[in-house]
Amino acid sequence: MATTSTLAKLRYRFVPDHVIGELLSKKWIDNAIPFLVLVCVVGLFGTLIPNFFSVSNLAIQARELGEFGLVCMAMMLVIVVGGLDLSVGSNFALGNFMALALLNLAGWPVWVTIPAVILICGGVGFVNGFLIGYLRLRAFLTTLVTLIIVRAIVDMLLLKYSKAMSVSFYDSEVWDLIGLGGVGGVPSSFIILIVVALVGHILLTRSRPGWRAMAIGGSRRSAHNIGLSVRGTVCAAYTISGMLCGLAGILYAARLGGAGTDTGMGLEIAALTAAVLGGNSLGGGRGSVVKALIGAVIVLVMTNGVLRIGMNSGSGPMVLGLTLLLAVFIDVRWLKNRDKLLSKVYVSPTLVELPTPRPTDAEKGGPLALNDRLRDVEIIGLDQVESPEDVLLDENDYLFCGTRHGDIVRFSPPHYTEWEVYAHIGGSPLGMAFDKAGDLLVCVGGMGLYKVDRDRNVIKVTDETNRSPFSVVDDSRLRLADDLDIAPDGKVYFSEATIRYEMHDWPVDALESRGNGRIICYDPTSGKTHTAVRKLVFPNGVCLSHDGQAILFAESWGCRINRYWIAGPKAGTVERMLDQLPGYPDNINRASDGTYWAAIMGMRSPALDVALRMPGFRRRMARRIAPDQWLYPNLNIGCVIRFNDKGEIVESMWDRSASNHPMITSMREHKGWLYLGGITNNRIGRIRLGDWADKNWSSYRSYWGARS
Amino acid sequence: MKKLTQLAVTAAALAALTVGSVATRADETDAFRGPALAALKGKTIAYLPISLGFDLAQAWGGTIKTEALRYGVNFKAQDPNWVTSAMAQGMTSLIAEKPDVIVTQNPDVQSLARLLKQANAAGIAVIQMNMQGAVQTDAFVGPDFIALGEQIANMMVAKCGKDTQTSHKVSLVEGVPTGGVSFYQVEGIKKVFAQHPEIKLVSSQAADWDASKARAITETVIQQNPDLCGVIDVWDGQGVGTGAAIKQAGKQGQVYFVTSGGGAQASCDRLADGTFSAFINYDAPGMGRDAWTAIMIYLQNKQKAGAIKTQIYSPTRVMTKADVKAGTCWDPEQYAKLLR
Amino acid sequence: MDDRTKPQSMLRHLNQEKIVFILTIVLFILFSIILPNFLAANNILSLIRSVAVLGILGLGMLIVVLGRGIDLSLVATMAISVAWSLQLISSGMSVASAMTVGLAFAVGMSLITGILIAYAEIPSLFATLAMATFVYGFGRAHLITGTDVVYLPPDLGWIIKLGQGHVLGVPMPIIVAAALALIVYLFLRYTKPGRFIYAMGDNFFTARTGGIPVRPILVTQYVLAGGIAFIAGIVTATSAQAMNTRVVNSNMIYDVILVVVLGGVGLSGGRGNVRNVIVGTLLIGVLMNGMTIMDIQYTVQNVIKSLILLLAIVVDSILNPRDEQTGQQGDI
Repeated sequence: MATTSTLAKLRYRFVPDHVIGELLSKKWIDNAIPFLVLVCVVGLFGTLIPNFFSVSNLAIQARELGEFGLVCMAMMLVIVVGGLDLSVGSNFALGNFMALALLNLAGWPVWVTIPAVILICGGVGFVNGFLIGYLRLRAFLTTLVTLIIVRAIVDMLLLKYSKAMSVSFYDSEVWDLIGLGGVGGVPSSFIILIVVALVGHILLTRSRPGWRAMAIGGSRRSAHNIGLSVRGTVCAAYTISGMLCGLAGILYAARLGGAGTDTGMGLEIAALTAAVLGGNSLGGGRGSVVKALIGAVIVLVMTNGVLRIGMNSGSGPMVLGLTLLLAVFIDVRWLKNRDKLLSKVYVSPTLVELPTPRPTDAEKGGPLALNDRLRDVEIIGLDQVESPEDVLLDENDYLFCGTRHGDIVRFSPPHYTEWEVYAHIGGSPLGMAFDKAGDLLVCVGGMGLYKVDRDRNVIKVTDETNRSPFSVVDDSRLRLADDLDIAPDGKVYFSEATIRYEMHDWPVDALESRGNGRIICYDPTSGKTHTAVRKLVFPNGVCLSHDGQAILFAESWGCRINRYWIAGPKAGTVERMLDQLPGYPDNINRASDGTYWAAIMGMRSPALDVALRMPGFRRRMARRIAPDQWLYPNLNIGCVIRFNDKGEIVESMWDRSASNHPMITSMREHKGWLYLGGITNNRIGRIRLGDWADKNWSSYRSYWGARS
Repeated sequence: MKKLTQLAVTAAALAALTVGSVATRADETDAFRGPALAALKGKTIAYLPISLGFDLAQAWGGTIKTEALRYGVNFKAQDPNWVTSAMAQGMTSLIAEKPDVIVTQNPDVQSLARLLKQANAAGIAVIQMNMQGAVQTDAFVGPDFIALGEQIANMMVAKCGKDTQTSHKVSLVEGVPTGGVSFYQVEGIKKVFAQHPEIKLVSSQAADWDASKARAITETVIQQNPDLCGVIDVWDGQGVGTGAAIKQAGKQGQVYFVTSGGGAQASCDRLADGTFSAFINYDAPGMGRDAWTAIMIYLQNKQKAGAIKTQIYSPTRVMTKADVKAGTCWDPEQYAKLLR
Repeated sequence: MDDRTKPQSMLRHLNQEKIVFILTIVLFILFSIILPNFLAANNILSLIRSVAVLGILGLGMLIVVLGRGIDLSLVATMAISVAWSLQLISSGMSVASAMTVGLAFAVGMSLITGILIAYAEIPSLFATLAMATFVYGFGRAHLITGTDVVYLPPDLGWIIKLGQGHVLGVPMPIIVAAALALIVYLFLRYTKPGRFIYAMGDNFFTARTGGIPVRPILVTQYVLAGGIAFIAGIVTATSAQAMNTRVVNSNMIYDVILVVVLGGVGLSGGRGNVRNVIVGTLLIGVLMNGMTIMDIQYTVQNVIKSLILLLAIVVDSILNPRDEQTGQQGDI
């Protein structure tokens, strides 16, 4: 028993189950299937064809890939905006012909010819784009007709000029460098492809025009309704597509120097096949340069491979057809089932052994014994606030709280019946604190760390931190900033509860109970944000110790409170301060006598405690039953505890009958009163403290001294 | 890679053995046979026509392959299936693979020219079949197409020229205009017609080696010129379509139709049923033999690739219905089987 | 005010079919006046005859397109199945059994296509594209062992009449096309599967919810198209004296799609009829014939033809602009 348990512990400690789900949730995992096909195809032909991996053969393949890859990117671009371009092959032939004609017959220099040809082919693309973008013609039909028109024009030109062209041979060093040469053994056309691909990738994924194109492909109607210039973008996509075809045509002309009637014949089918094999979805919105290139390599290796193997006529197309069927079949299934698979495997519970909770029985006594001290709580703003997670008071006794509408609400003293929206931030405002200047710093769930200055301007302080080197999910963005406190040097320490889930999915994080959270530090002098402590189990409340040497923070699902030293000899280390809590600790704040308040937002239940020791059970639960029937921590009853620097609990306050103010996520002592907030509440509570409390003590003064 | 080396080693060993045995055997009186065989043994011929799916390429390939296998020469064929870019790709790969001889056929005058030059430079002998390219290599095997064009044109002049009671209207169906067969043949035809101003060339359009295109073109031409006197098609493969159009229009016998080709059974059939009025046969299996001869000369003389360049013009003969007998033409199926 | 809106609302009633029909009539009248030979009975017959095969294939395409699909494998099926039949006859099989084998091949291949689309849920564009490549490759690799052009065997019996015969002076291809058009019309108009195809093209999910056996119907569509392709192939082969399998690599399939769509059949399904295919086919026929008589070169004809096609769809989209709000997502 003991050994299995050790084994299980080691297994859950070192096997990163959660990575599978995180990998599946990445956008680039979309390329997994095409990439797998690519590997299979290359592997197959690599073994069948001798010298396949030799440098010379790779150079040959790369040179042709340069041309074909450009055409595939042209196809991908229009597919991304929700269109289709069947005229790529004809346009390619036109580019080839024009390049040869301008060089051989018109005698233009290379550097004039290349831009001229790109412009001509871009012109064809523009015609497509104008018809499809501005006149709203159907892409399939329109490009079908332009395919035939351009092909017919090329045929006509060929009939007229091809004989004259075949007599002369254009010779120039630059032209030969493009067609036959390269840099350091890498063919020029491949270099050009890589450059275009890099630029294209950046444009498509990191620039406004690219995002617009993706948005239009994803939903043309929505894009139109939010005011994007749908028509212009579509037109531009076709124009660029035409230019890419022209460039490919030039490379082809430089390589072979011949204008045949079959140039580019059937290229549209090959490019379409490649685009779809690569995982670009017809209909738009899903596509990338990488996908286009993967598809291009697959198709090229296959078509060249079956030719090289020397199979009899027909075997090539046969293999190609079967591969296309198989690949599209797998892609269709993948697309259909990927989200299902993701939702099944993303939740990855881990082994947690919570120590037995401290007793709370009223009969046995002790600091945590149940009592009714919160029964007489005064209620403020009943039905006027929704989910005040944290409460805060300033020197003038104004009471602040956040609401789930994204507002900061301010109640006016002395009766706290009048209130106003102090500022609107958005998101879900959670923990709050005043800095020395009296500006309000707020952690906003879903947004990051914000500041409301004394003139009520909302300013973003930070919404990202440094990315962890080996994290699969992008943890540089702040998903769920929870609570903060400010060190004497002005550094802001705040907790991010989890990097794997959005705020409303907090129960799923509880089900996992993995160390998904962290403590982050923002330094106002440098403006930089960095992660201070990682792998914490739902870090929640944060509070600066009275001596200013440490940060106390709660790990909710770990039912413990830790101390993180920021100064002194132990600076940088974390130590456990208080554990075996009977519930899940939330916000922590200072008390006037040098102790600390902590809110317990919900109580542990034996069933969940057992389940936490059985990660397999929780995993099955997550996969097989509906989320609303999972085991969750309860968040409907809790208490307030007070503890000292030694980690000893001094007292606790309960609402045993659960009638007045049972749910507590935060509390704030102010001039002899304790103010209470709760995230599921529609009210704020306050209760007068005993004589031990300093009637003049306020949080602001405790941190920054009396205002001068 | 490994396989190839193995193959080469085995081949070399075998060759050595043969040479050795030939030299030591006292009863072998032919002193020249041994070195000749040794020069052939273990060499490689790569065959890359524009397609393996038509009669000419099948006859050439079949003939060469039969002989190659007889003398222990490796033979491999690739089928680009009428796609020029695939063919160029195949040629580029072949240059990297370095066979001893490449037998090929230019899809047009230019597209392969640069690559053929490269192949020669890389030490590979190149034999061009039928379709001459812009670059001369070790051998060109095929009829003298300019002369062939002149011959056909003269036949046409005899039937539709100024001494005849006809419209003097002639239509010319070209192949791929830049393809050697079409390019040079048309040159010869036009040269003759230039000397006969009475001949009215009503149409000269490209059918791209495609019978259905040839049929569509000729249908159009006959509709436009119901009094057409003659039609020339540069290749019998597409001439089938041209002939069908003439037959369809009910002009068979009225329109004089000449074409040329390798002399496969289909051509004899067309001659027999009157679709072709006359046919110039340049005997594709014979061309295969010429190519094999060129290969033997190259390999046995150990000359540098491209050192000696020969135009090997194939003999041609004019055939009419009267010449068709059983066995006059050959069956492409039989050669196709050899290539499978 | 009224006077100004009236002609506009009349224009609004013009859909693509009417535009193409009017264009056809205008061209017909124009050619009749300026071209002396155009109206001759012989010429009209040869006009229709030249587009008969296109029309037959168009009918097959229509059946598929009505159900919001597309069949790019028609030409491949046509070429390989018929070429195989011809080769079997040449190698000694009886005409009837060779034709049966060819038809079975065509139907079998389209059955597979249908199953891939209906049951494996592969988009029709790709399933048929892949099947076209596969059928051609398989045929060239294993069925048609000789040259890629298969010539007509000398004794074909009555089959040859399909391409070369005449009934009352009307060439058989026209008769075959007309008969098929009638059959397809009756099928679409009066049979349950025919009506179901419209329903599925209109709204696939509603049709499925409504209890239509969508998958079997989908398969039926492709099988019918395959059968029609075989007939088109027989007509082609018998009139051209040969079946050229290289036709698969040509632009022919695009011409078929054009004929169908030009007449006003919506590629998004549910909209169109046999009438539309006839109108589209006739426009192409009139255009090609007129240009032929005008002695315009073959390549130039292609340019003019495609420009007029472009004009037709541009006019349609100007008169009936597609709305950003109602356009269907993924409708290309």
